[in-house]
Formats: sequence, C-alpha cells, structure tokens
Amino acid sequence: MSAAPSFDDLILAVARRRDRAAFDALYRHFAPKIVAYVLKLGSDRSAAEELVQDVMLTLWLRAETFDPAQASAATWMFTIVRNRRIDRLRREARPAPDPHDPAMAALPPPSPEEEAQVALDGRFVRDAIKNLSPEQTEALRLSYFEEKSHSEIAEERRIPLGTVKTRLRAALAQLRRSVKERA
Amino acid sequence: MSMRLPSHHPQDELLFGYASGELREIKALLVATHLAYCPSCRARVAVFEAQCGAWFDEAPAASTDGPLDTLLERLHGQLGAVPPVFVPPPGPRPAAVDGVPEPLRSWLDGPMQERAWTDVSPGVWVSEWTRAAGGSSVCLLRMGPGAPVPAHRHTATEILLVLQGAFHDEYGRFVLGDVIGYEAGSDHHATGDESGECICLFLLDGEIVFLDEPAPTA
Repeated sequence: MSAAPSFDDLILAVARRRDRAAFDALYRHFAPKIVAYVLKLGSDRSAAEELVQDVMLTLWLRAETFDPAQASAATWMFTIVRNRRIDRLRREARPAPDPHDPAMAALPPPSPEEEAQVALDGRFVRDAIKNLSPEQTEALRLSYFEEKSHSEIAEERRIPLGTVKTRLRAALAQLRRSVKERA
Repeated sequence: MSMRLPSHHPQDELLFGYASGELREIKALLVATHLAYCPSCRARVAVFEAQCGAWFDEAPAASTDGPLDTLLERLHGQLGAVPPVFVPPPGPRPAAVDGVPEPLRSWLDGPMQERAWTDVSPGVWVSEWTRAAGGSSVCLLRMGPGAPVPAHRHTATEILLVLQGAFHDEYGRFVLGDVIGYEAGSDHHATGDESGECICLFLLDGEIVFLDEPAPTA
C-alpha cells in the first residue's frame, strides 16, 4: 500500500488549507468504501449516501483532529464512519473516554516502566493479529466488523456452527495469549 | 511496577466489539469508562481499531458511480457554508467532584454522594439511577464496609466495574478501574472491603433474582 501516506497528506492539506482538491481525492477514495461498509451492515443505498455526506462534512470540519502518529488515514476515517453510523443509523450514543477530563487526568499516571509495558503489549497484540490463520481473521471480521451472528456466518460460509465458534474462540485465545506472554 | 493501574480487564470480545462499533451502547459505556482508567486497554483498542481500518480500506472502490458524483457536487455547495476552521474549545470543565471519569460522569444524574439508593440487604444498595438499551441495563451497586452482597442468580452475563473502594469474591480482589465478568448461571459472593465503601457500575444482560430476599422496590 504505497499510496497510504498520501492520504495522510491529503487530510493534512484539508486541515491546513481547506484544500478542495485534496477533499475531492479523499472523497473519491473513501466514499465508495463508506457505501460498501454501510450496505454490508444492512442499511439501504439512501441511508448510505446520507452517511457519506455526514462523514465527509465531518472530515472537512474536523481534519485538525487527525494525527498521523496516532492512526493511519484509513483508521481515522473508519472511526468517524463508525461513530456517525452509530449516531445516525443506530440512533445510539458512542460513549468514549475524554482525554481532557480532569477526573481522568487525576488518575495516577503510568510509570515509565508501565508506559513501556503498554507499548510492548500493543506490539504483541499487533503481532498476534498478523499471525492468525486466514480463517480466524475472517471469523473476527465477520463477527465484529460486519456484526454477523454465529449462525449467519455459518450459513453464509457454508460451514458448521461449531466451526465458527471454534475459529472465533481460537482467534480470541491467541490475542489473549499475547497479553499473558508479557507477565 | 506500581499496582495502581487496573489488573482485571474486559475480555477481548468486548474490546474488539467496542473498537468495531458492534458493541451496543450500555456495554460500550462500561468499556469506555474502564478505558479512562486503563492505558493498556486503550492501546489494545487502538490496535483493534487499526485492524478495522484496514478492513474498511480493503473494500473495493466502485468504478464509475453516478450518484456519488452528484453527491460530491452537492457537498461542494455545503463546504462553503460551514465555518472554514473548526477548533474544539478545550475550555474549563467542571471539576470531578467524586472522581468518576467520563464518559460515565455525564450519564449519571449528579454526584455520587447525593444519589438515591434502594436497599438490597443490610449494607448493600443499588442506585435508583439506571439506564437500559439494547438488552443490557446498568445501575450502581454500593457495598458498605465488609457487607456481603446476598446470593443472587442471573439469567445472563453480569459485569462489574469498580468506581470506588474495593471488593472481593471467590475469584479475587478488585480495585479501582477493574472489570470482572460473570457468566450466566454462575454463582459468586461479593463482599465489600472492610476499609470503606465500594461502589461499582453494575451491568446486566438479563433479569437478576436475589435469593431469599424481598425483591427491591423501585
């Protein structure tokens, strides 16, 4: 994915200069993906287009909050799409911690050792995801990303329900193991 | 290494579901409030979000899409209408009187001290504040020093998040920010620490039945 860094630059161009050409390029890349995501989750075409509009306006207004050190352009876009979809289509709140919250700031800050441990844990779990079998990765994707029930996955993939459960259990066990290894 | 960060975490089912957006509102509230206490789970959620971002970006782009071109033209009209730069004001925020972090604080109807409680048994109360959605409900569970929560049976998962003090049961001792889940049909006997009151966010996926106790009146 050699094109990935350029999407970072495009979002930064919107943040710094309200660059319309950059906005259009982002739109052409991401709008079809937003439609695909929302259709897969069971909404219709018109709901999908409304969400595209909502998300792209959010991008235009909130581009300053993009930090390429924290997340890739695609991940940042995904979190906007996810949150706007929960708000607009599911009509629910999206509870999230607030980094400016004084109550959060009052909590004991992690020690340097703990900070290092947290970074290490992150690396372990990233590796654990990479090392999942293709079937396990797909089970996670269908279950969490496409929000399908175990029986829907079994039906769609023509595999026994027990196999779906086994794959998911094995995938989650491997992610869990990645934490245990540190202890 | 200090022992002050949480050592009991939500399962990855919950963290992944929170990252992907699959998790419904009430469970997301509990997970997000744990995240305020737990840098390690924040890092884990960031990894799961990155995975979802990769899946999101995998979707093939539609070739030529007329409706999306029309929509882009319509958006061009709207871009000029909105203020060119949006800066979220960091502004002063109300001091956290009782230390409950966001997002839970905004969901509560006031400080912990002024809360209305319903008796469950001697030294144990549940809050009259409660929220329910998507098949789950939450309220607060308060245990006086050394007070045991009466035996109860639940028909579905129960999850506790410690907001103040500490409690213990047959599975361990739980302190500020810890999350502990109990499967449907399981049995456990929570007791508040002797040293002070313990308050937890108390999430249930189904009905709860206290055994040998009069049902709490609403």
